[in-house]
Amino acid sequence: MVASSRASLRADRLRVLNAPRPVTVDLDGSDPVAVWLSASDRSVVDAILEVWRIDDEWWRQRIARRYVEAVLEGGARVVFFEDLATGHWFLQQA
Amino acid sequence: MPLFALRCEQARRELGEGPVALLDPDGRRVWQISPVARRIGVRPGLTISQAIGLCPTLRLCEPDPVHYDAAFARLLAALNNVSPVVEAAELGRAFVGVDGLGRLYGGPKEQLAALRAALAEVPGGHERLGWGMGKFVSWVAATRAEPGAAVIVPRGSEAAFLARQPLALLPLDPDTERRLRLLGLHSLGALAALPEQAVVAQFGALGRRLWRLAAGVLVEAVVGMERPEPVTATLSFFSPVADREMLVHAFDRLLERALADPRRRGWRVRLLRARAELERGGSWLVEIVLKDPTAERAVLAAPLRTRLDQSPPARAIERLAVEFAAFAPGTTALDLFARDATAAARAERRRALRHATREITLRLRRPMLYRIIEVQPWSRLPERRYALIDFES
Repeated sequence: MVASSRASLRADRLRVLNAPRPVTVDLDGSDPVAVWLSASDRSVVDAILEVWRIDDEWWRQRIARRYVEAVLEGGARVVFFEDLATGHWFLQQA
Repeated sequence: MPLFALRCEQARRELGEGPVALLDPDGRRVWQISPVARRIGVRPGLTISQAIGLCPTLRLCEPDPVHYDAAFARLLAALNNVSPVVEAAELGRAFVGVDGLGRLYGGPKEQLAALRAALAEVPGGHERLGWGMGKFVSWVAATRAEPGAAVIVPRGSEAAFLARQPLALLPLDPDTERRLRLLGLHSLGALAALPEQAVVAQFGALGRRLWRLAAGVLVEAVVGMERPEPVTATLSFFSPVADREMLVHAFDRLLERALADPRRRGWRVRLLRARAELERGGSWLVEIVLKDPTAERAVLAAPLRTRLDQSPPARAIERLAVEFAAFAPGTTALDLFARDATAAARAERRRALRHATREITLRLRRPMLYRIIEVQPWSRLPERRYALIDFES
C-alpha cells in the first residue's frame, strides 16, 4: 500500500473564508465618504454603486447589516457593511 | 470487500472504527461511510454540511481513486497466486475460478483457506468469502458471510440457499425492483416459486435471467483476464542520435504510443525493456522490473532516464524500441472513477497537488494550501457560504 500522506478533514479544522474585516469608515450623515483600509491608507469613495440590507437569524441572535458597494478613488471596487446592531463597519466580498 | 475504498483509507491512516466518511470524486457529497457513522445517521449522498451537522466528530476523507485502484490491483494479483482465473467485477469485488484446484488445495474449505492466506498479504482485511456454483451464488454467499469469514453453498443446495435471501441481491434497476415489490415479492424464493414463463411475460428477457438466477439454475462462469502479448513501439531516426535530450524525448513518445495500445488497457506494466540498434552495428538493452506496476508515462520514463545517464549507449542510436514485456492486472477499466477519463485526470492532478503540498510543508512547516468547501452556499451571509480546510497537514 502507498503510505498515507494526508490527514483527514474534520469539522474543527474549518476556517472561515471571506470573514468580515473591521475598517473605519468616514460618514457624511449615513453615507460613506471615505474608507480607512489601514491606519495610514484613507481612500475616498468616488461613487456608491449599490446599497442593500440583510436581516437574518432573527430567531437566534439577530443579524442586521447594511451593505455598500462602492468605487474608490483610483477605481478599486470594494464592498463593506455596517453592523446595524453595533454600528461597526467591516470590509467583505459580497 | 464491501466499502473497499473506505477500508483502504482506514488501513493507511489508521483511522480505527470511528465515524468516517469518504467524499465523492467532486468532494461535495458523502460517498461511503463507516458503520459507526451510519448508526449515527449519516447516509451516502448527504452534503458535507449535512453530514457534519449530524455527526460533528465525523472524519471526512478525500477520495484517492489511484490508490484504491493500486490496492485492488494488488488484491487481484494476490488472488492470481491461488488461481489463474480471476475476474474483477468492481472495486472490492472479484470472482475466482476454482475448477481444477481441488487436486492442489483440496475441497472448498481448503480452497477458501488458500485464498484467505493470499489475502493476508494484502493490507485491508474485512474480506468476506463465498463459495458456490457460479458467480451469483458465490457472491450471495459472500454477502451473507461475516467479515473475515466464509459461507459455502454445497453443490445441489443452491436453490434452498437462495430461497431465503432478499430480492435486493438480484442485479435490479430501481424500476424493476419497484415492480417486483408491487407484486408482493420480497425474497428470491418467492420469485423462483413463480412459473418462469409468467416472469418472462412480465419482464421479458431480463425476467428470464432474474428468475434463473433466483432459482439457482443459471451458473455464470468466472472469466479470467487474458494477459496481453508484449506491446512494442519503435522509432527509426533519419540520422543516428546521441543527444541525451533527444533520446529522452524519443522515450517519452514511444512510451505514450505503447501505453495507448488497446491491448495494454486494463493492465499495468511490470517489465519494461528499451532496445536500441547502434550506428555501425551493436545494440543497447535496458530491462527494468517495476516493483509497483504502473501505467503512468512519467513513472515509466524515470528509470529509463536514470539508466540512460548511468550506462549510455556506446554510439549513436539508429533505431529505438520500447517494449512492455510483462503485465500486472490493472483495474482502470473497472474503477468506479476511472471509467470517467476526466475524473481520472482530476485524481492525478490531486495527487500532484498533494505531492506539492508535502514539499511546501517540509520547507515551511505548514501546508499553506487550503481547499475550499461548501458549507452553506445558500446563506445570505457571505462568510457562511464556504470554508477553508487544510488541503493536507
